[in-house]
Amino acid sequence: MTEMISQNGMRMGTTPPSDINQVGVVVKYEVLKYLRSKRLMGLIIIEALVLLLLTILPPLLGNDYATNADAFINGYTSYVTILIVIGATLFAGDAIVSEFQGRTGYLLFPKPVKRSALLAGKFIASAGAMFLVLITYYLVALLLGLAITGGFSTLGVESLLLAMLYSLAALAVGYLISSVMKGATGALILTFALFLFILTILTGVLTLGGVEPWFLVNYAGGVVGYITQVPYPSSGTGDPGVGPGFSMATFIPDVGISIAVMLAYLVVSLVLAYFFFKRREMSA
Amino acid sequence: MNEPIRIENLTKDFNGFRALDNLNLVVKRKSFMGFLGPNGAGKTTAIKILTNLLAATSGSAELNGINITREPKAALANVGAVVETPEFYPYLTPTETLAYMGELSGMSHVDIKRRTKEVLDTVKMNEWADKRIGKFSKGMKQRIAIAQAILHEPPIIILDEPTSGLDPRGMFEVREILVDLKKQDYTVFMSSHLLNEVQEICDDVALINQGKLLKHGPVDELIATTNSRRLEVRVKQKVTAELLGTISRLDGVSETAPAGESIFVMSLSGGDDAQASLLRSLMNLDLSVISFKESGVALENLYMSLIKESR
Repeated sequence: MTEMISQNGMRMGTTPPSDINQVGVVVKYEVLKYLRSKRLMGLIIIEALVLLLLTILPPLLGNDYATNADAFINGYTSYVTILIVIGATLFAGDAIVSEFQGRTGYLLFPKPVKRSALLAGKFIASAGAMFLVLITYYLVALLLGLAITGGFSTLGVESLLLAMLYSLAALAVGYLISSVMKGATGALILTFALFLFILTILTGVLTLGGVEPWFLVNYAGGVVGYITQVPYPSSGTGDPGVGPGFSMATFIPDVGISIAVMLAYLVVSLVLAYFFFKRREMSA
Repeated sequence: MNEPIRIENLTKDFNGFRALDNLNLVVKRKSFMGFLGPNGAGKTTAIKILTNLLAATSGSAELNGINITREPKAALANVGAVVETPEFYPYLTPTETLAYMGELSGMSHVDIKRRTKEVLDTVKMNEWADKRIGKFSKGMKQRIAIAQAILHEPPIIILDEPTSGLDPRGMFEVREILVDLKKQDYTVFMSSHLLNEVQEICDDVALINQGKLLKHGPVDELIATTNSRRLEVRVKQKVTAELLGTISRLDGVSETAPAGESIFVMSLSGGDDAQASLLRSLMNLDLSVISFKESGVALENLYMSLIKESR
């Protein structure tokens, strides 16, 4: 190692790399974490099971496959949001809090690396793992559609792009939760419950009240499935089937607004996550 | 010239509790400074501020002249630290952990490979280089912690109770590593409450209590300023209350106490002459003295008296 001497005669150690290079280092070791902790493998196994069930169940139940490529892929896109919620929980839920609770922060934070670089590296690694899962899922579904219907669904590709955006928003929310929670288990449970129960219940209640929950990220994420329906469905009033005189509003998220909402969740959640992470102290 | 470590009016409050109270301290280049104080004195708080784990309420801390709060990345570039007992990523091996830390510090892959072998050899962990850290004992982890602190050969090393929680063998081995570091071109700032450790290894010492600096300076000079020593005496006779009463009336003697059937301890004010005179006095009392020695370390007497005064 080249020894450096400062102007005042002091021996200096190494010069830290640029922030961008450090982000790359963090990404590398976070990906290694996903591989060694089997989280990524676990999600890929869940994904394989979903694909297998969606492919073999229709003929086993005596149903025909859709003959149109878009209709075929629509059967698969409806379940993508569940995969995204599980992925956000596994990759983001404890990403920050574990450094504090697990005391690895004592090793990492005294290093010459900014917390922004740590957050960016972790987030990019999570997004990479999530994208890998989503791309694999869509690739298999699109190829199956091609083999069974003989057509390629371009709407499937659009759905993939929207799923990637929704996954980024969900990961960002997971990072925000992870940056404020004190325990890793609580952060994991809250991330999962937020998307699977809390936001879903809120969406249902608002819809029942006749208010379109366009501002909720899970509602916006619904476009991942709707985009493969031809024609794109529209909001309206339907019969809930509880008797004459009753009607209920059905809301369908607008694609443009949903993209804006997901982007807003991504940016705001990440900025807040950084704010809390930067201020957080290793005081325990 | 900038000192490696400079702390000025450093204050840290935790919800109304003042852990550091206008602490001022300078650590000279190439010195090995022990940072002493009882539990809760503020040692770890000061070290955590120096290593960017806590933010100061007021005051400043500089490493090589760079303010740690304003420019943490630049300030920490030349620092290796072991704070509390860090945990490691259980899925990484020591070699991978050191590579991660080395890459973050800007080391080349060639340097990382070379230094990893050297530092793992220094901390006697080469045999475990490629085993995952998950199941390592606390002592093994502490050695890896020291290895990562010296990996990039930083001019400043900050250690927070490096032998804490280790078994006697582990403590001995870590002390050996520290003695080895002392021979090299490092500035070391080490907190400890093991006074013998500090007296054995450190050149300088800073004593704090309740977040305030009580005294600092070269260990020898500080010990010389203390005019009190603790003595342990073993005699052939049985130690009785009457005997202790007689001894406590001798010149300079105080705080006599039995420490066994035929052993007693006492405090003596004065230096070597007073100690020699006391031995003569004991002999004059017709005591059959088997052993007559200083009990504990000299630094302990200074520490205890300063802590007592500061309360």
